[in-house]
Amino acid sequence: MSERGHHPAPLSPVERRVAALEALLTERGLVPEGFIEEITRRYESEIGPLNGAKVVARAWVDPGYKERLLTDGTAAIAELGFGGPEGDHMVVVENTPAVHNVIVCTLCSCYPWPVLGLPPSWYKDPPYRARMVREPRTLLAEMGCPLPGDVEIRVWDSSAEVRYLVLPQRPAGTAGMTEAELAGLVTRDSMIGVARL
Amino acid sequence: MSTQLSLSGLDLPRRNGELVFDAPWQSTVFGLAAAVIDNAFCGDREPFRQQLVKAIAAEPGRPYWESWTAALEALVETLPERPVP
Repeated sequence: MSERGHHPAPLSPVERRVAALEALLTERGLVPEGFIEEITRRYESEIGPLNGAKVVARAWVDPGYKERLLTDGTAAIAELGFGGPEGDHMVVVENTPAVHNVIVCTLCSCYPWPVLGLPPSWYKDPPYRARMVREPRTLLAEMGCPLPGDVEIRVWDSSAEVRYLVLPQRPAGTAGMTEAELAGLVTRDSMIGVARL
Repeated sequence: MSTQLSLSGLDLPRRNGELVFDAPWQSTVFGLAAAVIDNAFCGDREPFRQQLVKAIAAEPGRPYWESWTAALEALVETLPERPVP
């Protein structure tokens, strides 16, 4: 057991199962020294929604980039240096005054890791996964994102093949802002589609 | 919500990280799955994803990282026995 297991309390059943997996997989040579610490550090500090915010801000200030982003999301996102697991087939969907997009994974927890990091817990929970498909307008309102009745809601179910990212509308009154300042306005939730800016 | 630039209460990604795990065993089992995908499946995530879909469908109310653990256990079952040196 590593120092991560240095608890005064006895291990719970799931902690025991994870410890058994760690021992087995380490014994089989599948877990390089330091691998778990490194990947945890990366997802807790490097790979997160600021990456997506930079993509969105670039699209807001550079029409050519925006066109490339909507045509081939994976390639345009790679232009900014972002890619990797769960980001192989990125499709970016654009919000407009008439259309609001939102992403979900009905079967598990597929999510665009390179631009948003790992998903928040509610994204992985059964109520969100079921209700965002069945009653998106009601659920969005409950989540603090009420939409006018004439706005069409498009729900995108992530899959093994495709990961989606929402391109939010640029807020009014931001004409004088720099790209970096704009990136600071973009929230994770707006790129999932459960918030508007 | 539409009030211009009034974004308090939203989760601003100014800092690129957030605590994504609630307990050490969760980050451990996340990292273990990544290690198995990389080192036993040549980076192909699909076999693990299929196990995760099955694990979640089997017990929809189970906490997410426990389903993740069950999925990894099932995936490990599919690995060939360690070759004899």
